[in-house]
Amino acid sequence: MRDEERLDLELHRRLQEGDREAFDELYRRYSGAAFGLAYRITKQEALAQEVVHDAFLAAWRAPEAFDPARGTFRTFFLSLVHHRAVDTVRREERLRKRTERVANLEPERGEDVAEDVVESTYLVQRRKEVREALETLPPEQRKVLEMAYFGGYTQTRIAEELGIPVGTVKTRTLAAMRKLRRALSREDEAG
Amino acid sequence: MTLDHERILELLAGYAVRSLSGEDAAEADRLLSEHVPSCASCRESLADFQALSGELALAPPSRMPPDLLLPRLHRELEQRVVARRPRLFLVAAAAGVVAVLGMGALSVGLGIRASNGQAKTALFADALRTANRSDATKVPLISSTGSRGMTEVSAPGLEHVYLVGEAVPPPAPGMVYRVWFHSTEGWKWAGDFLPDPGITVLELAIPTRVDEIRITEEPEGARGNGPADTERWSATFLAA
Repeated sequence: MRDEERLDLELHRRLQEGDREAFDELYRRYSGAAFGLAYRITKQEALAQEVVHDAFLAAWRAPEAFDPARGTFRTFFLSLVHHRAVDTVRREERLRKRTERVANLEPERGEDVAEDVVESTYLVQRRKEVREALETLPPEQRKVLEMAYFGGYTQTRIAEELGIPVGTVKTRTLAAMRKLRRALSREDEAG
Repeated sequence: MTLDHERILELLAGYAVRSLSGEDAAEADRLLSEHVPSCASCRESLADFQALSGELALAPPSRMPPDLLLPRLHRELEQRVVARRPRLFLVAAAAGVVAVLGMGALSVGLGIRASNGQAKTALFADALRTANRSDATKVPLISSTGSRGMTEVSAPGLEHVYLVGEAVPPPAPGMVYRVWFHSTEGWKWAGDFLPDPGITVLELAIPTRVDEIRITEEPEGARGNGPADTERWSATFLAA
């Protein structure tokens, strides 16, 4: 287990005891990543703020939802942020005219600059590895995965937008996930 | 690996990135409750896909959240401390007026107000017994308006949960409180209720894989396919 993961486990243990300093430390460690993710998905600061707020509050309110036997706190928590962000996008979709950027899910100009966010060396390195792993995907697989994950689209909607069968969306999603898993596992072993 | 398993993995991959809907979402729910628990290969794949979903979260650049967010969270952490006294709260409330709405199973009896005083008392006693179990889980629902809280009470082995509230304020005239469950299938209406003075206890048969309970204030009768934008309380759970 990496030092980062060990520290997260300790912070989580303290969170279960209602330790606010542990909460603040987890906020310091993951609020930047959480807000970056939520903003990418919702494309609105206000919505992203609500998503991150709800996720941290959920972690504080029910820390027992994280089971260390099932993975790391970081992937657990950021999955929670992702799920809430996707749900928020789908809820808001009927309430607002959402900017359609199906053809361009790349970061906006200037979005990649985040000098004010202080992250651990490991997180910075892992971010690089994840991006590089995404780059290795065939374009058609990457497109489907990004529309689902960062666009919040259902597979049915992706099929409609791309004009391909839903079955193709499913096979491309699975193929992309398998390839990413292999790529990141190799990085884990190398690290 | 059989073709069937390949199809299952497609669903699990879609589930992990939250992109399923309709029949696929329902099928994934069935798999998660019936097949995956007994299939080591699928359990491992699902765990891998879920971990990968957490890793993908790192792809976008970090952004600093607004400075006001942490102080806002700090204020709400204090509320949790108050809300984390469900046992005292329940015992203290027992002497008060008991108002109960029994909702029973999801498909029948929704929104039917329990008029029998004995039934109300029995339901309250059941909720109290559950809350006092050493293995009970009590999750305070977050209020969006600062109104009096509701607490979700559950325990292992029970196929239902209780929502217990003290002095829940009445909704506006012509409005009701509407309970919604969210899962990978989307939102599902669970029932409507009107609180009485004193204690309100709702007994809810909860479907598998529910990841959020939300209570909204909506016009009586008119109901959409999902919760209106008038949230009053909510609780979020992360599917294992």
